[in-house]
Amino acid sequence: MSTLFSGDFWAFVGVVAGIYTILALGLQIQFGFTGLLNFGQVAFMAIGAYTMAILVVKEGWSTWLAAPLGIAAAAVGGLVLGLPSVRLRSDYFAIVTIAFSEIIRYVATNEDALTGGSQGTIALGKVGTAAQYNTQWSSFQSRVQGWLGFSSSDATMLVIVWLVAVALLALTALAVRTPWGRVLKSIREDEDAAASLGKNVFSYKLQALAIGAALAGIAGLFYAWEFSFFSPDDFEPLLTFFAWMILLLGGLGRVWAVPIGAGVFGFIFAGTRFLDFAPFTWFGSDQRAYLRLIIIGLVILALVVFRPQGLLGRKQEMVLE
Amino acid sequence: MTALLELDAVAKAFGGVRAVDGVSFSVEARSITALIGPNGAGKSTLFNCVAGATRADAGRIIFRGRRIERRPPHRIARAGLARTFQTARTFRRMSVVDNVLLAAADHPGEHLPRLVLRPAAARARERALQARAAELLDLVGLSAHAQAYAGTLSGGQRKLLDLARVLMLEPALVLLDEPMAGVNPVLRGQLLEHVLALREQLGITFLIVEHDLDFVMRAADRVVVMNEGKLIAAGSPDAVRSDEAVVDAYLGTAHGAAVPA
Repeated sequence: MSTLFSGDFWAFVGVVAGIYTILALGLQIQFGFTGLLNFGQVAFMAIGAYTMAILVVKEGWSTWLAAPLGIAAAAVGGLVLGLPSVRLRSDYFAIVTIAFSEIIRYVATNEDALTGGSQGTIALGKVGTAAQYNTQWSSFQSRVQGWLGFSSSDATMLVIVWLVAVALLALTALAVRTPWGRVLKSIREDEDAAASLGKNVFSYKLQALAIGAALAGIAGLFYAWEFSFFSPDDFEPLLTFFAWMILLLGGLGRVWAVPIGAGVFGFIFAGTRFLDFAPFTWFGSDQRAYLRLIIIGLVILALVVFRPQGLLGRKQEMVLE
Repeated sequence: MTALLELDAVAKAFGGVRAVDGVSFSVEARSITALIGPNGAGKSTLFNCVAGATRADAGRIIFRGRRIERRPPHRIARAGLARTFQTARTFRRMSVVDNVLLAAADHPGEHLPRLVLRPAAARARERALQARAAELLDLVGLSAHAQAYAGTLSGGQRKLLDLARVLMLEPALVLLDEPMAGVNPVLRGQLLEHVLALREQLGITFLIVEHDLDFVMRAADRVVVMNEGKLIAAGSPDAVRSDEAVVDAYLGTAHGAAVPA
């Protein structure tokens, strides 16, 4: 029971929820505001993380140059995915996105020379050496820890991730209230009508896709720094669907619903490990790990029945859809 | 006489069906032209070709002296050719006033770099547009609903909203696709008045697909009749009404005879 009251443990849960918030915020822009059914969001996270790690380890770049380039690479990835596919009807587009994310993961698994292959980032450097991409980040993090006067590095990361997340949420909330955001919503509602009123639907969809991908890239950077090692297995499609669960939990088309959804998701996900009493003890501990997926599934089912608009969504908008 | 819109041998086939089969006619500036014909005559397909929603297989479409048959719909709209849809396509989860504001052309606030670099210009334009949107909503009698979700409006009100939205574009030519369908008689009368007043006051040209022949006879200067993808008659409402080909198209060639099994 000791972890239940461990500050470090809950700080770690909070860090992961913050990373998921940034990842799901990208989906909120793409789907919640623009109507783009993106099932490949995790690919942009992978592109951001790998670009940064490769530039730091192989090219010897500074983290502070490699990180923005990772974000840019994710955005470019969004454009590359969108250019040929964004004109497709939404269900076909969804299929393309999931294929794209699997292609990225397979490339990362098989291009050993570029990515370290299935061994992950540890194999990025010379044979026989364990490659490190986060030396600069770690020293930055311990300096921040010194300023804050914290004893825990998890708590420090919590502050950094959530400062960035809140800034990005605020920016997004501002952006969707502008005339630009209005065009995105009109495309979500009826793209043919938007085009008939002179809006370049193709361009706006690409913008939404690239911005959402850039956010996933940022999430990828924090993911990489938090775990100081990653491999292609970290970017399975399941992660995209976690982000979707967060979106549905929080509510569609509402910026501040994203951190709420991520918080609830993170709490359920981490909390199920404390179910160490009957009837849960009938299962082995390895089996119990899957309980959290079952519980999240049940929560989403209950939500669909009792509160289909999500925790923060607007019921009225559901009816009008 | 200058033609605002000219169609020259426009054709569009879906598989083996020649929905539009070499149609040519022109729409004069400041005119109200009605496009009529029985169901399946190809009117809506022709509309979609003109508005760019579907691309014509052959022929030329010339608007304000420029060929538009290969342009995407948003560029046709920006050139000053606006259209409404058969069933009004409002943005349901957006407010009524946002529906109208959205239609404004060249809004700096819709352009991300300009929005970031010159936010004041975007705000100023938005304020000016808000005044214009309020005027237009007043014109079509929807001011009371300005802040409501567009999805809560009735079918007839949505058609009026569609009209207000299209006017926000400041178009030279408006294509109305069955504006009277599903609209109650009171609103019908209002719509007719709006169309006539807009032509008078703003010099807007209309091309209207409509089944309500009463409306066609009262509003149109010129009527163009299609049947089975082809143009079968064109002229004044009175001339078209007594045209034998038109009567045949609507009633069948053997008037009064039993429909062949």
